Amino acid sequence: MDADRPSASRFTGRWQDYAPIAFTNLLLMIVTLGIYRFWATTRTRKYLWANTHFIDESLEWTGTGVELLVGFLMALVFFGIPFFFLQFGAQALALQGHAAIAGLLGIAAFLVLLMLAGVARFRALRYRLSRSWWHGIRGGSDDNGIAYGFSWLWKSIVGALPLWLLIPWSMTSLWNDRWERMSFGSQTFRSEAQAGPIYKRFLLFYLLPFVIAAGAVGVAGLFASGFLRRDMDVTAAIGAILVLIVAVIGIYILLGLIALAYYAAFLREAIGNLSLGEIQFQFGAKTVQWLKLFLGDVLLVVVTLGFGALFLSYRHWKFFVTHLEATGEVSLSALGQSRTREPGQGEGLLDAFDLGAL
Amino acid sequence: MDDGAAITGQDGQQGAAWHYDGRSATRHAVRVAPTGEGFTLSGDGVFSGPHRWSDIAALDGTRGRSVYGLNGLAGWRLIFEGPPPEAFAVHLPLPARYGRWVDRFGLTRAAIGFTAIAAGFVALVLSAPSWIAPFVPRSVENRLGDAMIGDFGGRFCRTAAGRTALDRLATHLGAEAAGVRSVEVANIPMVNAVAMPGGRIMIFDGLLKQAKSADEVAGVLAHEIGHVRHRDTMAALIRQLGLSMVLGGLDGNVGALVSGALSLSYGRDAERAADVYAIDALRTAAISPDPIAAFFDRLGGGKGGEKLERATGWISSHPVSADRKAAFQNSKQRGKTYGPALSDADWAAIRGMCRADPKGAKASGFSW
Repeated sequence: MDADRPSASRFTGRWQDYAPIAFTNLLLMIVTLGIYRFWATTRTRKYLWANTHFIDESLEWTGTGVELLVGFLMALVFFGIPFFFLQFGAQALALQGHAAIAGLLGIAAFLVLLMLAGVARFRALRYRLSRSWWHGIRGGSDDNGIAYGFSWLWKSIVGALPLWLLIPWSMTSLWNDRWERMSFGSQTFRSEAQAGPIYKRFLLFYLLPFVIAAGAVGVAGLFASGFLRRDMDVTAAIGAILVLIVAVIGIYILLGLIALAYYAAFLREAIGNLSLGEIQFQFGAKTVQWLKLFLGDVLLVVVTLGFGALFLSYRHWKFFVTHLEATGEVSLSALGQSRTREPGQGEGLLDAFDLGAL
Repeated sequence: MDDGAAITGQDGQQGAAWHYDGRSATRHAVRVAPTGEGFTLSGDGVFSGPHRWSDIAALDGTRGRSVYGLNGLAGWRLIFEGPPPEAFAVHLPLPARYGRWVDRFGLTRAAIGFTAIAAGFVALVLSAPSWIAPFVPRSVENRLGDAMIGDFGGRFCRTAAGRTALDRLATHLGAEAAGVRSVEVANIPMVNAVAMPGGRIMIFDGLLKQAKSADEVAGVLAHEIGHVRHRDTMAALIRQLGLSMVLGGLDGNVGALVSGALSLSYGRDAERAADVYAIDALRTAAISPDPIAAFFDRLGGGKGGEKLERATGWISSHPVSADRKAAFQNSKQRGKTYGPALSDADWAAIRGMCRADPKGAKASGFSW
């Protein structure tokens, strides 16, 4: 990043300072069979938040490990166990020949799950804002996220139905839904992200089949021109196979690059249209920078035989903070304390999804 | 770029500090003045206190700065750039670091303690099912097993003659006293047999086809009856339930239950105990243990049995070891006369069940 330009948001951490936190976290997680995970997350966030300098003051994380643990346990009790028995029941029904009922049960479970995924996203954001402090002021939301859950449910389905064409609309619209219900201190976020500006990037996905078709035509042409003959020698055959392998890998890489390019555009649009009071946020990360982050992640994890994974959350947060910008004025005296209710427990539901439990 | 941020600090001045009152975002430069039991803050139009030392909490993770909060007033902050003045610090506890429990014992001692607890916990989780299982009433297990399996989606082959023959063999091997409620043949082309919760034993058609005599099937059946007798299925169910809850391994594909049941592993001790039961039952029924030992050889010997079969069959959950085979062979008594487990007619009736029962045969297209 350009170090000379004063930035509203700066990251002041050093990986050398974070390493003792990361490694002791790993040690304690191992010896507690993973239960320390909640406290580990808390320590990591405390460090990352404290080293995030916004305008003239650091952020502060006041969440605790117990909150995350309680959130996790609640998700397990109210959500994991009913679903476990539901699945158990569906299997028993299927085995006893009631496949239709089992199928209906499965669809109902899927819809409830999809909705809960939305609620989980909302509540995770609400929890994180409520535990993030700046200038002795915190964020939050008074919304319980249920309405957002329904919104998430129908917009996800409608977005995907017409050949996924409405995904950019559902993503931006859900982003707006989520953030407009959030506040920091006495001020509410405004979010006016539009789907239009990111559609061009999204349509690249639909270009891919044509690229593949063109490639196929090219290969067919090679066949026709005699490059690939039935009686060709071994080296030529190996060459042809290599071309095919490269083509297949190329398709995956292309797909990944398009996804990256689209996501970069999405976040620029989404954060670029987010404002709080007189502050307007921007996010500057371009596709190339996302690609570097991603390749850096892979390299880090591979070269360190997996231990580098400990630093991924650090890298990602640093990436986010260094590319975050803000312009406008903060009237500190006008920014009063948040009156939103503080949620009692952490992002348990989202945690359950992260675990890949269902 | 903003009004409040323009305030500059009074670095180096003893007792000078920043303060947020938790009501607005305005940053105040304050002076800390001690009182008898605590201190007060004052500066540019703010006054806070007196506060007692015991109400102050040290907060961590603050880039070399010292940050303090006030119990009961969220957002109230007192911040020193660098370490706090000594007169202030002596009254206050150190900030939390790893979490309260770890901080209390220190990292090394806490890590050792947690390791011991974790090892104990793992041992408990692994052993608990086998001592909990006997306390689960049979009736509960039976209902659970019936709910899980039902009629196995109509994949059981049933003929009157086969039924009689199977029952006769099972009775010989002490099935009823062991708590076995049914022995069925399932139309599945795998060389396998399983004991399911609820005292139900399934022999797969593939195993009947592979077996050379009724004596071999008797050995396998006796072993499975042993599992039922020892409540191993219930223990395995509890273990699976517990593990999937602990590990969150809830995987949504239908049929996972069956494949789970197939891969239920009872543990080495339970297998040995089931073998002991089988040897005993075979001896009581005067069935020679040699054929089952030969059957082990044929399935696990490396020759013959295809790879896939070995990966999915009885042998995969019942690995053949030299000890196991020897235990069966050594159980043979000199001078004792052993009869065949079943008459030729009965054996033929069992083997022919899936061919004869059209309902079970219809389900043979079921793909695993």
